[in-house]
Amino acid sequence: MLVVDRDGGIVDLNDVARTLLPGVARGDRLHDAVPGWLTEAHRLLARGPQESAPGHRSGSLGDRVFDAHPTASDDGDVVWWLVDDTDRRLAREALRSEQERTGILAEVSSALLSSLNVTRCMELTAHMAADHLADAAVVIAPAQGRRHPLTYACKDGAVLQANRVIDPATVPGLAEALRGFPPVPTRWINPDDIPPWAVPAGFAGPLGSVIVTPLPGHGVPAGALMLLRSSTERAFSEGEEIFARLFAARAGAALSAARMYAEQADITATLMRELLPPTLTQVHGVEYAGSYRPARDNERVGGDFYDVHPGTDPSHESLVVLGDVAGKGLEAAVLTGKIRNTLHALLPLAGDHEQMLNLLNSALLTSHHTRFATLVLASALRRAGRVHLRLTSAGHPPPLVVRRNGTVEEVATRGTLVGAMPSVIAETTETVLAPGETCLLYTDGITEARGGPMGGELFGDRRLRQALSECGGLPAEAVVERVQMLAAQWIGGGRHDDMATVAVSAPKSGALRVVNGDVPIDGSEIWHRRKG
Amino acid sequence: MTTLSPGPFDVTVVESAPTALTVHVSGDLDYDTSEELVELVTRHLTRVGPAGEWEDLRLDFAELTWLDSMGLSALLMIRRRTGAARVTLHLDNRPDFLDRMLDVTNTYDHLTEAARRQDDVSEAGAN
Repeated sequence: MLVVDRDGGIVDLNDVARTLLPGVARGDRLHDAVPGWLTEAHRLLARGPQESAPGHRSGSLGDRVFDAHPTASDDGDVVWWLVDDTDRRLAREALRSEQERTGILAEVSSALLSSLNVTRCMELTAHMAADHLADAAVVIAPAQGRRHPLTYACKDGAVLQANRVIDPATVPGLAEALRGFPPVPTRWINPDDIPPWAVPAGFAGPLGSVIVTPLPGHGVPAGALMLLRSSTERAFSEGEEIFARLFAARAGAALSAARMYAEQADITATLMRELLPPTLTQVHGVEYAGSYRPARDNERVGGDFYDVHPGTDPSHESLVVLGDVAGKGLEAAVLTGKIRNTLHALLPLAGDHEQMLNLLNSALLTSHHTRFATLVLASALRRAGRVHLRLTSAGHPPPLVVRRNGTVEEVATRGTLVGAMPSVIAETTETVLAPGETCLLYTDGITEARGGPMGGELFGDRRLRQALSECGGLPAEAVVERVQMLAAQWIGGGRHDDMATVAVSAPKSGALRVVNGDVPIDGSEIWHRRKG
Repeated sequence: MTTLSPGPFDVTVVESAPTALTVHVSGDLDYDTSEELVELVTRHLTRVGPAGEWEDLRLDFAELTWLDSMGLSALLMIRRRTGAARVTLHLDNRPDFLDRMLDVTNTYDHLTEAARRQDDVSEAGAN
């Protein structure tokens, strides 16, 4: 409490005020004794009308903050009640910065979680760290090969990314932070220990304080975050260190999610490259075309597959394989890969389809499951303009041949599915395609496609044959496209199984000729050969 | 596979004779349901019947509405189990689509082969 007269002379002060204002005594002038804010408040109060005077003023005395409440007495003296407001202010300040930090964390999360791109996540992390936590930030990702991806950001500056060979041991605590385990606390680092690579190019002024904190991932380290402040700014406080850790936890979670997603996308891409059906073209004078529509449009590795293995030269048969593996998804994809690889290895034995199928069957047999495959083998050789085919079904719908006049014939081959029974039998059938004629191999996804005007009706053998009968004389590519198109139209928007088709055609030779349905077709003979 | 809702899948097991189990299968036997059938049949085959060991397992398909390749895979697995248990598998009241599938894949003879003539793949051929 402080009593001051109209002219600014100190009339009295109590013991507490004496402690606050050491050396001040009665009779001193106010402006010599107290900070300007209180002198000014008194001056205004003494001069102005009582009612317009401010209720109270506040300011600091020493290192604490006070509210000054005036009470005027009748003789013109003013009693100033000084109330310590420091703790309340500190609490309010803490609340405000807490709210601000919560806001920043929310911003960090929403910004980072909206991206599954690793590079973008690192960029955002560095950028936001530099903006909200420090003058500059460096995100150090785990090494890829020998180099670490580094992301630099300065406050209000551009983000720079680089891959550099660095030695994490040169920054105290960085090697531990990058290993991610055991969890290491944030480290304050002597700025003199920071190697040049760790300072962003545009960083202004000498380094003041530096901290390194790990970016914790989902059980895997996502990297480390280095925060830098120039010497003109104050050093990182305890509270800022905690906040940096919270920030790092969010950034680390987002980064490792992005990294895991990238890895999975990579695995899927690798699988897809291996398992996607090849693009087919003409081989040794025989035309091939293939089409594959997987069951779910977002799952491009399914249970149907096909391959064409060209003969070593035009005098050797090429082998066409089209198959359908029971089940779907990754398990089906794995079995598909196994079958394709095994058949590739068995190519030298393709002269005897049944033997080939038996070897494949024993390679696939396992006690774990009875997942099987059905397939068609077709060996094709062009001789004197005509394509000689040997066809074998292993539990698969029989191939169809469309003659030039539109007649559709079923190739009579029968055999056992492979992969689930101790032994298999198969009958190989031979046929010859004249120029313009096509043999179609297909999976039951086509004939069992459900849809039609009423929905739920099977596309069926009859519609497939009808579609083919309109394809006499068409090139392989066109036959495949037509069949897939009709089946797709039949399904409409409904769900469907994998649908694969391969067409093998004898190309019409260069000479122009009118395709006439009435012309008797040679080379349409079919004969059967019973194996073993 | 279909735009229609799948037939409700259900399995009922009946002791149709002292040495025979009959399993009534109704609805769609497919990717989603085939494992359930294999597990149920395996469980019943391993319990002791009223006359000791089972001799016959009859799968009754009168109420079967659809069977896909995983359904056939389930039948092949059941055949391994019955073979190992020296039980003969019977496929009764087969709808046309089932007959067609067994025909194309050439599996009917293997599935319904009488037990004890020859050891099953799960003992002999599998690795």
